[in-house]
Amino acid sequence: MLGVDALAFLEKEGFPVLRSFLATSEDDAAGKAAEIGFPVTLKLSSPDVIHKTEADGIRASLRDESEVRQGFRQIVGSFATDQPEKRLEGVMVQEQGGGVEVIVGMATDEQFGPVLMFGLGGIFVEAMKDVSFRLIPMEASDAKDMMEELKGRQVLENPRSGSVDLPAVQNLLVGISEFITHHPEIREMDLNPVFVSSHGARICDARIMVL
Amino acid sequence: MNEKLVQVFSPGSVAVIGASNSFDKLGYHVMKSLTGNYHGKVFPINPKSDRVWGLASYPSLEAVPGDVHLAVIAVPARMVPDTLHACGRKGVRGVVLITAGFREIEDDGGRVLEEEIKEIAGQYGLPIIGPNTFGFVNLSSGVNASFTSEFSRIERGGVALISQSGGICHLCGFLAIEQRIAMSKLMSLGNRCNVDFPEVLTHLVEKDSSTRVIALYIEGLDDPRRLLDVAKSLRGRKPIIAYKAGKSEKGDSASRFHTGSLAGNHAIWKGALRQAGILEVTGTEELLDTAKAIDSCSLPGGTGMAVLSGQAGPGMIASDALEPAGLKLSRFSEATQRRINDLLPPIAIRTNPVDMGPAWYDPKNIIAILKAVIDDEHTDGVIFLAMYASANLNLAEGMVEYMKAADSFQKPVIACFTAPPGIWDEPIEALDRKKGVAILPTPERAVQAMANLWKVSSLSKGRGVKTWDR
Repeated sequence: MLGVDALAFLEKEGFPVLRSFLATSEDDAAGKAAEIGFPVTLKLSSPDVIHKTEADGIRASLRDESEVRQGFRQIVGSFATDQPEKRLEGVMVQEQGGGVEVIVGMATDEQFGPVLMFGLGGIFVEAMKDVSFRLIPMEASDAKDMMEELKGRQVLENPRSGSVDLPAVQNLLVGISEFITHHPEIREMDLNPVFVSSHGARICDARIMVL
Repeated sequence: MNEKLVQVFSPGSVAVIGASNSFDKLGYHVMKSLTGNYHGKVFPINPKSDRVWGLASYPSLEAVPGDVHLAVIAVPARMVPDTLHACGRKGVRGVVLITAGFREIEDDGGRVLEEEIKEIAGQYGLPIIGPNTFGFVNLSSGVNASFTSEFSRIERGGVALISQSGGICHLCGFLAIEQRIAMSKLMSLGNRCNVDFPEVLTHLVEKDSSTRVIALYIEGLDDPRRLLDVAKSLRGRKPIIAYKAGKSEKGDSASRFHTGSLAGNHAIWKGALRQAGILEVTGTEELLDTAKAIDSCSLPGGTGMAVLSGQAGPGMIASDALEPAGLKLSRFSEATQRRINDLLPPIAIRTNPVDMGPAWYDPKNIIAILKAVIDDEHTDGVIFLAMYASANLNLAEGMVEYMKAADSFQKPVIACFTAPPGIWDEPIEALDRKKGVAILPTPERAVQAMANLWKVSSLSKGRGVKTWDR
């Protein structure tokens, strides 16, 4: 499960997600953007593309209808030219996220079973592998420890702008742990990124593998 | 199982099956270990001789008169199933199975044989330590049921080392003798037929009052959650520290998920150990230092440290080591500072870290300074550093004298006493592990052990520690 589907699924389960719709035409995109309110982000939606940035599939901070229309045309255009063999579902129109980017994920280990991961997003997870793990199920105090264990935790404690809603992150971690406990059919999950601002954590993108 | 293990680890009688008079048999060495200082009955079993190690020998276990609590088995692998049946029929409480050649070998026959003995053990409800183990040493009750008699030389104390490897027991056991680490148990679980980490952990926490700290050496487990769940259920009862070998960083390289590709076995172990309240250490030295400190000292209530040093350099490196380890120099209260100022002339640095140089020839003042900083409410622990120099020859001996009348320190004191061999040996021995003091070789190791005391204290209370990885 990817993109809009994964986000809709998570929202239904009560997790905080950025408002997202799939648009299949330029008019559709403009309408959805107006419904969400500006600014918005557009994202390529294709079951064949994992890294949307590399496929030139993201336009962020679009401030009005004309920017949305232009963005839609650009994404669809370059996709059709560069990767004609791949399938296009449409373009996701998403509420603009803000704050610190973090990753929340789960995997199923052969020996340990389901485990939960937390880390800072972007370069911290990719290059530094600055992440912490806990076995599922876990408690609220474990979630707190997971955050404190990160080498880059000061990014969460003293971000350059505003404060970070750490209790919201804690709630999300505990919530995912509980959710996975009741859904053993879920084998792997990346919530990446999750935006954490001074008022809440919002899942921006998600991938879920169900057995 | 728990009731039986009590008798297995402190048996009133031991049968050695495969006991031998010839040096090239393991049964010879087991007999050597048991005829040393064990006070129970020893029954050598050997169908070919009448006397083994000067003791009357029996042709079979059936022939032994009376109860046998523990059977140590050192016969060839193919004879093990019949031997276990004999143990079951005799009502033996448990077995140390030294014999190797089970699932640890390449030949599939080993795995099959291990399945067979597991079944026999189940049939009689017989706990088996091993197979493929050197045995165990219970220093608290004076039982050396292993093939290495020299382990009996380890001092009796509160450290239980439970290892997946016999080699690590030999590495740590002899270092323990050298470094004055006092143990309650030293045990290799071998192939862990039916006595595994969770069973031993439960025994040590619930039934073994002599054990104050449990040190685990883990290589890999089929079902790690069982150990972690047991540790979690026992959380806060006794400190548990673990050295996990096999630090593969590799996650699932086939995974298309970030999480899956980052979920390396060691990364998960790290998190899981903390979750279970177990302190992870990353080396033999740290394992032993930490175990010794826990066994000897009170746990600190916070991170404020006083550094007392007779020489400036060692005090400086100890102070430097504090912050990266998650500790800090404490700030003395005015009252404490006045007490120190009364004891030290102003030619010394009298704030923390305290330069005790001018008091170096006066052990009474040294002890008084130590007491003053321990009494300070901002001090949670003390690093005490004393290097020998010809002129302070009498310092260590003098401290021993003044310590005799002192009460145990209620805050941890980790000390370094460095001197040429033969000069301070006796006083160092007299000071180490007494009255809340642990002695370690270097200031850096002293600080690391102190930091681990603080982490153990936090973990036991279910609190997170902010400074894990710095």
